[in-house]
Amino acid sequence: MIKEVTEKKLDNGKRYWKSLDDLSNKPSFKNWVEREFPEGASMLEGVQRRGFMKLMAASFGLAGLGMTGCRRPEHTILPYGKSPEELIPGVPNFYATSMPSAHGFTPLIVESHQGRPTKIEGNPSYIPNGGGTCIYAQASVLDLYDPERSKSSFIVSEEDNKTRDKITSVEVKENLTKWMEEGKVAILADKSSSTARKELADQLKSKGVIWAEYEPIDLSNPEINLGNEVGASGGLRLIPDFGKASRILSLDSDFLGNREAFSLANTRSLMKGRKVLSAKDAKKMNRVYSVESDLTITGGVADHRLRLESSQFIAFTNLLAAEILTLLKNSDQVLIGRLNKRGASLKNHAEWIKECAIDLCSKPKSSAIIPGSHLPTEVHVLCYAINHALGNLGNTIKYQLTEYNSSSLSELVKSTNEGLVDTLIILGGNPVFTANDFDWDEISDKIKNKIHLGSSINETSTICNYHIGQSHYLESWDEGVTWDGTAIVPVQPLLAPLFETISDLELLLTLLGSDENSHDFVQSLHNNRASDNSFEDFLRLGVEKQNPNYFSDSVDLSQLIDDNNILPKLPSFENLEVLLIPDFHSWDGRFANNGWMQECPDPISKLTWDNALLISPVLAKILEKKYPSLGLLPEPTMLNKIGEIAPDAANFDHGKQKAPIVKLAINEDDFIEGPLYVQPGLADFTIVASLGLGRSDVGRVGKGTGYNAYPLLDDKSNRIVQEISIEPTGGFQILANVQEHWSMEGRAIIREGNAEEYISDEAFASHMGAESHSPKIWGKDQEADLKFKSQTTPRGNSSYDHPDHNYEKSETPGLHQWGMAIDLNQCTGCSACVVACQSENNIPIVGKDQVLRGREMHWIRLDRYFSSTQRDGAELPSDVQVSFQGVSCMHCETAPCETVCPVNATVHDEEGLNAMAYNRCVGTRYCANNCPYKVRRFNFFDWNKRQTDELYKGPLGKKNDPLPDMGKNPDVTVRMRGVMEKCTYCVQRIQESKIQVKIKAQRKALLETGKDGADIELKESDIKVPDGTIKTACQQVCPCDSISFGDLSDPDSEVSRLKNNPRDYSVLGYLNTRPRTTFLAKVRNPNHSMPDFASSPHSAREYHDKAHPVHHDEDAHDEHESEGESH
Amino acid sequence: MKNIFPRWANTIPVKIILAFGIVGGTVTAGITYYATPKYTRVGYKPTQPVAYNHSFHAGQLGLDCRYCHHGVDKSSHANIPSANVCMSCHKNIKADSPLLAPIRASYFGEDVNKDGILEEEEDINGDGILNTGLPVPWVRIHKAPDYVYFNHAIHVNRGVSCVECHGRVDQMEVVHHDKPLSMAFCLDCHRNPEKSLRPMNEVTNLAWSIATSKDEDPHLKQFHAGLDIKNKWGVNPPLSCTGCHR
Repeated sequence: MIKEVTEKKLDNGKRYWKSLDDLSNKPSFKNWVEREFPEGASMLEGVQRRGFMKLMAASFGLAGLGMTGCRRPEHTILPYGKSPEELIPGVPNFYATSMPSAHGFTPLIVESHQGRPTKIEGNPSYIPNGGGTCIYAQASVLDLYDPERSKSSFIVSEEDNKTRDKITSVEVKENLTKWMEEGKVAILADKSSSTARKELADQLKSKGVIWAEYEPIDLSNPEINLGNEVGASGGLRLIPDFGKASRILSLDSDFLGNREAFSLANTRSLMKGRKVLSAKDAKKMNRVYSVESDLTITGGVADHRLRLESSQFIAFTNLLAAEILTLLKNSDQVLIGRLNKRGASLKNHAEWIKECAIDLCSKPKSSAIIPGSHLPTEVHVLCYAINHALGNLGNTIKYQLTEYNSSSLSELVKSTNEGLVDTLIILGGNPVFTANDFDWDEISDKIKNKIHLGSSINETSTICNYHIGQSHYLESWDEGVTWDGTAIVPVQPLLAPLFETISDLELLLTLLGSDENSHDFVQSLHNNRASDNSFEDFLRLGVEKQNPNYFSDSVDLSQLIDDNNILPKLPSFENLEVLLIPDFHSWDGRFANNGWMQECPDPISKLTWDNALLISPVLAKILEKKYPSLGLLPEPTMLNKIGEIAPDAANFDHGKQKAPIVKLAINEDDFIEGPLYVQPGLADFTIVASLGLGRSDVGRVGKGTGYNAYPLLDDKSNRIVQEISIEPTGGFQILANVQEHWSMEGRAIIREGNAEEYISDEAFASHMGAESHSPKIWGKDQEADLKFKSQTTPRGNSSYDHPDHNYEKSETPGLHQWGMAIDLNQCTGCSACVVACQSENNIPIVGKDQVLRGREMHWIRLDRYFSSTQRDGAELPSDVQVSFQGVSCMHCETAPCETVCPVNATVHDEEGLNAMAYNRCVGTRYCANNCPYKVRRFNFFDWNKRQTDELYKGPLGKKNDPLPDMGKNPDVTVRMRGVMEKCTYCVQRIQESKIQVKIKAQRKALLETGKDGADIELKESDIKVPDGTIKTACQQVCPCDSISFGDLSDPDSEVSRLKNNPRDYSVLGYLNTRPRTTFLAKVRNPNHSMPDFASSPHSAREYHDKAHPVHHDEDAHDEHESEGESH
Repeated sequence: MKNIFPRWANTIPVKIILAFGIVGGTVTAGITYYATPKYTRVGYKPTQPVAYNHSFHAGQLGLDCRYCHHGVDKSSHANIPSANVCMSCHKNIKADSPLLAPIRASYFGEDVNKDGILEEEEDINGDGILNTGLPVPWVRIHKAPDYVYFNHAIHVNRGVSCVECHGRVDQMEVVHHDKPLSMAFCLDCHRNPEKSLRPMNEVTNLAWSIATSKDEDPHLKQFHAGLDIKNKWGVNPPLSCTGCHR
């Protein structure tokens, strides 16, 4: 009886689910998740046993031969002829620089080992970012060492239009001067926040050069139109400061993610307002509303989320404006009536909008309404007016005045047609790929000299007859402003160009006939400015303040809205819309050849190496009904006839997700083909397509990844496309999706509560999970302090003593006891930590084929869970809450991996680290099997040594190009085939800090006291690493400080304080693993009055429903449910 | 059954065990002698491109180790001196010695007439920069495996002398590998650091040993003095994997 009811309850489906297949709860899926590695991960495919034996015999034979040459090879040490100043071999140098971009320069500090940049960090001197970095900045160092980047300049032979003849940089400069003398020069540049380039562009324009700029995904797009509409003297750029905001409404704006500029600073300031360490903080916690068509990480953070097609935001904003003006007692009833009329189509959301408006108005001057940059001008004007009316301007939102004075691509094409251009210089960017609406062959026929300055051969190079290799930003001088305009930042090179390349500034200086080199030019720019700092100080600090101008005039809304503007059609299956977004992996295409970005899973869809056409469950169901008999989608497919998700073995096998390919078309010429992927949380009739993959002329890494969505982008870069037709092509594609891997089903993995719950019971998280019902883990020592627990590993309820980790003869426990606390309430899921870890710890790229086999090597797995209560078991939910959790090695005190290692390769050290000795590992993989968190990664191949497509050839496979090895961290072992690896808590940083602290203390004592030997006495505090000195790579990159790391034996350390917070809990704590990494439960802050209010987060409801099923009788069951979620 | 096995078969098990014992012993002895660091590394004495005489410079002239290996107390590597370090003396002393030709070539590079100024005809690759010559290819003698992260600075600053691992370099005309530098060698000292700890100022004094009066046992005295230093300084060398393997 009990069993029956429980199962029934489960069938009702109120539980965590992590993916569509997880939800379907098929036996095949269950079998699959229960495996150590996904099936196939540990199988040798494509080689028969006999062949294998032959191969092995041969390799043993070879090994025998090799033994005879087992003498020590002669190594040489090559010191400098003249050693550069400030360079000590083995000690890294750090330089301040910044990463150029069209959307503000990102201030950086870059670590360099003997002239080789290895690791990028944020520059903490720039306050808004607070030392955090975005994922693209982290990955950009790999581009410097891309074996396929342009290594020289070449000219395409006029005879066969194919042969590329190398030209030297001297010849390049001679040619540039010649073309400039001939006149009729036009430059097409990608946009940039560079002040240095702007200065040179102005000089060139005054010499009659046509200067045009083009950026396919231009996040500053609405600025000019908004400025024009509200009567500003230039563009208006919205700069939020969420630090002062308590109510935030996002209108299709992913301001925390990669789709908006300034996302790093936004993340930092927004999440600061969600830092909750006490009930007092919870009362002040900010509240985020998100209305969006795609499911973004901003929507994941949001307390209330409304799904709405992107084309409907004009109506939505009108309705919102009407509500807010009414609430603010605006007397202009005519205006309100007009607004209401324009928003009339969204009456079904009226209650949501009304309650949201009331909440926004309840916090005057501290709310913020942020429209997405791809939305039409009307939305931006309305938002300006609402924000102004709410008193937000100058408080939570500033409108910065910006200047624009370059031609557009269309104007350039016009000049070309008029014969005004003989020489076209394309400065960076890839317009041939991204500006699809132009006939580039025709344009190129009209121009004599087509020069492309690019960092690699791309689509644009193919129409040009000259290619000039462009230097990476870590090899160039430049200077630019940050997006908010409050800082000027330098770009200083960390090394001379590795290859014969030049920077854009050098090219422009040559065109101007200047003798100055780019360093002198940037220096003169700085010296011409009134500045307190010398140029050297500017470079050292990396940031110089400046004060931008802001605009905050009031506007008359009744003059600004135009009732005659036609509203977009209501979306339906007949009128599908496509939202074009920058791809997570490659942005607009520029990171397509970056293996770290390609392999980093998209935060929401968890796809690697591919993009997909995301559709909502509703649309999937309609499609399924429409195309069953055509055989375009074989039965059964994503949804079966009763709407149940039934992925058959053909569509979901070994973690390989087969996705049907469809054709999306605007008209006969403009169409794209890509795989469908059902994504909960999407607006019903929005299809999300990402721009930037599917490139044709790209290196080995980016080749064959994803589809190209640029054909849908029109010449005005409008990213919302309506009236799309959809038709299956009958083809299928395998998507490398990592979301099913290592599923931790249905347990209290992520613990969530509402702010109100937290205020009434701060320890709500400790009342969840099996350990809340089991005997106390630490037994009589349960209430002991962290210091005692971490230093002695008390026995608890065990019959046996725990092993003493204090080594051999040392009587004292380790000086420090390392631990980590991750505040789930601060994590947005941006995934920057994944790439930061990869960069710091020399984690290899394995390639799509190996990801499909479940062999990805990331030490941090960023789990994404969906939860919903709106489902009845048969339907795929549309409204979901998203929760993220970064999981890496937890460094358990009583680690299950250690007890099963036959060779003691993984053991504890005295400071509580779970050590992994690679040189001792024999690769049994028992440890990974026994790890309950599934965080151990096995080197199935020599990823670092062999090319990813040659892995199966073993020692005969081609070796990797050695260039990327220059970027490896010399302080971390590069692992070989056959060994296990996992997070080390960045042990190289720990050891280095410990060493530095001891050296400093020792030297100080020697110098200050003049004593030596046993006369020197050092206290424990002298040789202990101060709190905050060590930052792990993931901690350092995080813009919202969601990760804390430090010494548990120090009760005052940040990590100890966080671990003593009642929100702290251990994942799978009931296993008595006693992880050193613990999590702080997530707190959501929903609004009571909202129609979608739930008294507990969905995930918490699901947990309680599953963990405490009522098994008396049916009546009691109902009663229990009606009691609500009072557990 | 006795018809199947002849009588001599009774000795087969004994013979097999004996054979295993002999073969196993030989193999063990062979590996120990031919394949352990104690025998494979110690005594390695390659010929260097420049016949630098440590016993003359460090021994007779009394140059401190750190004059040339200046990174040793700051960095994990004890750097091999760059050519400019040699030239700071040898610009004046034995400036034309043919033995020093590789050093001069590395130091002066394009600066053929050695005036420190780059003339146009000297600028070989036309970049306007006075380039140095190719590095002197010193042959590496001491090498920790790639997965071992030995840090010189912490040892040198915490009272472990150069001599503990490198031997009496100040008495070597040509440097050779003096100690096995195996993991057992490292752990031996990490377990009993008191045998090797000495005052900081004596770290580069390779000839130093603790002063003893006649009737004192120097080992015992060093042990007590080292223990005193260990306790006062809080020396606690790591014995776990993470100390050296990352």
